[in-house]
Amino acid sequence: MMSLVKAAVGGFMGVCRAHGHQQGPLAGHLKILTAAMKTFDIPPDYSGVVLPAKPKLKYMNKVPNLKKAKKEAKKLRDIQGPAKTANAFMTGQYAIVAMGGGYLHWGHLEMIRLTINRKLDSRTTYTRWRVNAPYKPITRKGLGQRMGGGKGAIDHYVTPVRSGRFIVEVGGKVELGEVEHVLIEVAKKLPFPAKVMSRESLAAFQKMQSDMEQNNQNPWTFKQIAQGNMLGIRKVLSPSDLHNHGRYTGKFWLQGRV
Amino acid sequence: MAATLCARFLPKQGWLPLTQGVRHGSKAVTRHRKPIHFLKQKLLAVTKYIPPPRPVPPDAYPPETTLVQEDSGFVLLLKRDLKKVFQDHKMVAVVQNSGSNAEDMITLKQRLYKHGISVKFFPNQVMRSFLSESVYCNMTPLFIGPTVLFVSKEPKVKEMLSALRASPQMILLGACIEKSLLSAQGVVSYSRLPSVTVVQGELVSGLTMLTSQTSSMLQRHPAHLSALLHQYIKQQSPNDGAEEAT
Repeated sequence: MMSLVKAAVGGFMGVCRAHGHQQGPLAGHLKILTAAMKTFDIPPDYSGVVLPAKPKLKYMNKVPNLKKAKKEAKKLRDIQGPAKTANAFMTGQYAIVAMGGGYLHWGHLEMIRLTINRKLDSRTTYTRWRVNAPYKPITRKGLGQRMGGGKGAIDHYVTPVRSGRFIVEVGGKVELGEVEHVLIEVAKKLPFPAKVMSRESLAAFQKMQSDMEQNNQNPWTFKQIAQGNMLGIRKVLSPSDLHNHGRYTGKFWLQGRV
Repeated sequence: MAATLCARFLPKQGWLPLTQGVRHGSKAVTRHRKPIHFLKQKLLAVTKYIPPPRPVPPDAYPPETTLVQEDSGFVLLLKRDLKKVFQDHKMVAVVQNSGSNAEDMITLKQRLYKHGISVKFFPNQVMRSFLSESVYCNMTPLFIGPTVLFVSKEPKVKEMLSALRASPQMILLGACIEKSLLSAQGVVSYSRLPSVTVVQGELVSGLTMLTSQTSSMLQRHPAHLSALLHQYIKQQSPNDGAEEAT
C-alpha cells in the first residue's frame, strides 16, 4: 500500500515534470522516490579552545627603541641553514612556515598584519607573531657615492628568518579550510618561499623526511662522505655543508635531499 | 677579495695606475643560486635519494584485503524488510524495467494490486549482500541493472504474466516460487500447469485405472464372464494346435 502511495506521489511529480518544457530523450521516466538516511559529518569539538584577550596581530615598530643605534656587520649567516628557534607550534593550529631564508622588513610585517587582521574573524580566530620586530640594522650609502669613506648610515631594520621558522601562528575555533586562503595569500608575498601548515601536516612533513632517511636505497649519503672526508671532498665543501648535510645551500633549502 | 695591485715597475715616483682591478667572489649566502663546484655537483648527484623499489604500480591489482564496511542502520532496515518479504511471500519474481514511465508504473501497480501482487524496490548492493548470507544465494546473478521485485503471497503467475505482457519495458528475469528457482521460460510453463486439485485427480485416476477396470468387469453377470473364459480357452488351444502342425 505504501509503495502505491509513494508511486502515486512520484507519479504525480513525474507527470508534472513531463508537462514541463525542454524535455530530453529520457525525461518523464520513472523516478523511484524512496526514503533514505542522510549521514552528517560530526563537526569538530572546540570546547577546549581558549581565545586570548587580544586576538589580532600587534603593530611592530619600524625602528627598535634604542638609545644609541650601532651599525652592525652584515653577518649573512643569520639567514643560512635551518631554524633552531620558533620551528614548532606553540598554541595555534595553523602557521605560515618559511621554506627558505631571508630578511623581513617593516613593509612585509605591515602587509602580514593588515591582511590577517582584516581577513580573519577576531571572534573565532586569534593570531600570534612568531618573528621579532626588526632589530638588525642595514646600512646604505647615499646615491652616487664612491667606494670608501667608511660604512654607510643605518637605512632600515630587518628581521632575519631562517628556513623552517614560523612567521605567524593562527588558532581558534576554525578549520584549516577557513583560514588557508588568507594565509596562502600572505605566504605568496613573502621574500622567501613559504608554506601554510597545520599541526598534522607539519608532523606528516617531518615524518616524510625521517622516512626518506630510513628507506633510502642509496648506500652513499652526503653526511657519510662529508664527515669522512672521502676523496678529500672537504676541499670543495664548506663547514656549513658539513653541519647541514648538504640540505641547505646559502639561504636556500634543497627539497628532496637525503 | 682584497684589491691586488700587480707589482709593476712604476716609471715615476708616486705614480698610481688609473684603473685598479678588484677581484672578488660572491659570499656564501647569495640571492642567486651560486654555481656549484663540479666535484660538489658530482657528490650531490651520487648521494641522491633513491626510493624503495615498487614491484607494480599501486593500483595495478585489486587490493588483497577488501575493506569490510559495516552496514549502516538503513541497510539493516532494508535487510530486515527483505527477510520478511522472502518469509511471507510465496512468489518473488525479478523483473527488469528498462525505462518505464511513471504513468505506466502506476497502471502496472494498480493491475497487479488487484490480484494481490505488490511491487518492491530494493538497491542491488543490499540485495546481493542479503542473498549471499541467506539460502537464496543462487538468485544473485538476476540482480544486475534496474530490477524490480514482484512479490505475492499466493503464486498468481498467469495474472502477473498478462500484466507484464501489457507493459513492453518490463522483462521477466526469473522467479522464486515456493522455494524453487525458475527461469523466465520456467515461469511460463508453470503458468500453463493445471491446478493442484486437477493434477491430484489425474494422478489418482491413473493409479486406480487397472483396479477400477477389473472391478467393473467382475460386477458383470457370471454367465457373461464364463462365456468369455471359454472363448479365451478356445483361442489358446487352436493357437497351440496350429503351432504344433507347423
